[in-house]
Amino acid sequence: MKNDTATAASAAPRYQPASNYVDDAFYGWLNEVSLDLDAVTTQRTGRPDAALAAEIERLLTVESRLLDQHAYAEWLDLYTPECAYWIPATRPAGDPRAQITLEFHDRRRLLDRVARLGTGLAYSQLPASRTARQLSGLEIWASPGRSDEWRVRCNFLMAESRAGKRRVLGGWYGFVVRRVGDALRLAFKQVNLLDPDEPQGNNSFFL
Amino acid sequence: MNDPLPLAAGSPSWDWLIQDDRVHRTIYTDPSIFAREMNNIFAATWVYLLHESELPEPGDFRRAWMGTRELIVTRDEARALHVFANRCSHRGATVCREPGGKASSFTCPYHGWKYDNRGQLFGIPGKTAYGAEFKARDMHLARPAQVALYKGFVFATLNPDAPPLETHLGAAARFLDEWIEHQGGADNIVVGGAQRFHLECNWKMVFDNAGDGYHVPFSHQSLLQMTNARYGGGDMSYFADADRSRMKLYALGNGHTVIDQRPDMYGNSAWEQQRPQPGREVFEAHVRATVAEADAKRVLESAVGAGMNLNIFPNLLLIGNQIQVIQPLNAGGTTMHWHATRRRDADDALNTMRMRTQEDFPIMGEMDDAGNFEECHRGLVNFPEDEWIDISRHHETGQDVADEEGRIVGPVTSELHLRAYYAQWKRLMAAEPTLRASKSRIAR
Ligand code: FES
Ligand SMILES: [Fe+2]
Repeated sequence: MKNDTATAASAAPRYQPASNYVDDAFYGWLNEVSLDLDAVTTQRTGRPDAALAAEIERLLTVESRLLDQHAYAEWLDLYTPECAYWIPATRPAGDPRAQITLEFHDRRRLLDRVARLGTGLAYSQLPASRTARQLSGLEIWASPGRSDEWRVRCNFLMAESRAGKRRVLGGWYGFVVRRVGDALRLAFKQVNLLDPDEPQGNNSFFL
Repeated sequence: MNDPLPLAAGSPSWDWLIQDDRVHRTIYTDPSIFAREMNNIFAATWVYLLHESELPEPGDFRRAWMGTRELIVTRDEARALHVFANRCSHRGATVCREPGGKASSFTCPYHGWKYDNRGQLFGIPGKTAYGAEFKARDMHLARPAQVALYKGFVFATLNPDAPPLETHLGAAARFLDEWIEHQGGADNIVVGGAQRFHLECNWKMVFDNAGDGYHVPFSHQSLLQMTNARYGGGDMSYFADADRSRMKLYALGNGHTVIDQRPDMYGNSAWEQQRPQPGREVFEAHVRATVAEADAKRVLESAVGAGMNLNIFPNLLLIGNQIQVIQPLNAGGTTMHWHATRRRDADDALNTMRMRTQEDFPIMGEMDDAGNFEECHRGLVNFPEDEWIDISRHHETGQDVADEEGRIVGPVTSELHLRAYYAQWKRLMAAEPTLRASKSRIAR
């Protein structure tokens, strides 16, 4: 049985979609973006024009709403195939190669999580968390040396209600937005909680 | 033999609360029992504080806990470790308000008393206002009666009569050694950050589950179903018919237990069974390209958990490659610290893979466990007339048997784990231990 699986694996990869992009260079890029998102600066160069800024803001609004609606398949469609979702366990974020994170997913593990929630047997989300996100303080600037990619930072406040208990989660989001054909897609989302180093409650949905 | 303090006179005995095959709900819900646990268990026996690698440099410090008692653990300039209470000798303020960092001394923010990083008082503002009687008193920060290390794992107890740490670990030491060996040896382990979770339940809900091989196909059904649907099975699927698996549960004495998953997890290849983590392909290609073929399996499997759930009573759980610590807060509140580990001898690729592997279960499985612990606690609170918690699985089947080494070995779904640790719990709770902290000058 086991050997059959292994043989099949060499023909068509057993683990789909393949995750060949999560290499050292990718981590290096994430760290560079992470530092840039959290830089203390008054001057961001490469601000988008009003039309593009509005388009990016719409994308983030839809991203938030789809999560609030638990529409995870549609939500993932907003992301590029080679994306990352990262919740650092410290503030500021450390290097995910050396430090544990609260969550770090490639597309495949995002699909795992979506599929798990979709079984209807993920008890930590039965009942599901209802959320409402507020985004504010949006800043957008071009990725250095690129005309098709932008970095975004904004604060978030998330009201959550589950099984009769209410919580408020807060912090800031960092995003990388990329032009893919006619559409804008998200290549990266970083969730910086106010208190990732303090004990967390049931965050088994997507932040 | 009498009713235990601080339970009211005429209240039930420990033998009634803890029976061979069931335990009473109040041991989870009663604040007076919790208060006694903080003395008789979380002070009177060895409690795990932290791993030595969390204090790599002279001057490093970190906060740690013995139950609800808050401590500071430091490494001094001579590299010696010190453990003392986070409680000023003057009027009680905490002298340290940071979770960790570097400090050569601690100055109490309230009136400025100064302590060195061994907890020794060396400065009092306006000292002329104090007299001979005061100066004759021991005013250094309070130190637990005993502190000891086992291969980098730091433990403490307030009980001067507690047996040596190695005696306390007993038969668990061999499994701890094997866990350490999976990490490449004691000096090879480096703690690389922590995930922390708050649970609205008694701490024993967590300990109960740590040796529970029964719940997996039910509590983690979503994970098993997903893994099966997406990858044709894998990690933990051998729990589906656990009593017919090769896994075993051992009661190791003094409340320690272990679920040994290795016969199944490592039976073929633990790497092959592993759910695909981010970067799996890149890492595997890297190992195949850089490591001799004979060593490749060992290196790949080093990215995977050690294949045991080793439970050192009362607060240290080794699960996968993680060092999990239970911190009780009150009868209905607990913090869990999941410390991740990397290897000193590993390259970045292996350590990165270890991080992604150690993140998998917390979000994919532990969240469902945590939900069940909280709902267990809610169930116990919300209907007091239903008094008992059943812990009798395999109690009457004769399948828990003593082996030559004096351990008890049972099927992996046996509630032997609970019966074994509750026997220790009862012994400790019925005792009247001495608890001592010293404020005297450290002999140099
Ligand atoms: S309480 Fe610490 S100096 Fe007064
Ligand atoms: Fe579990």
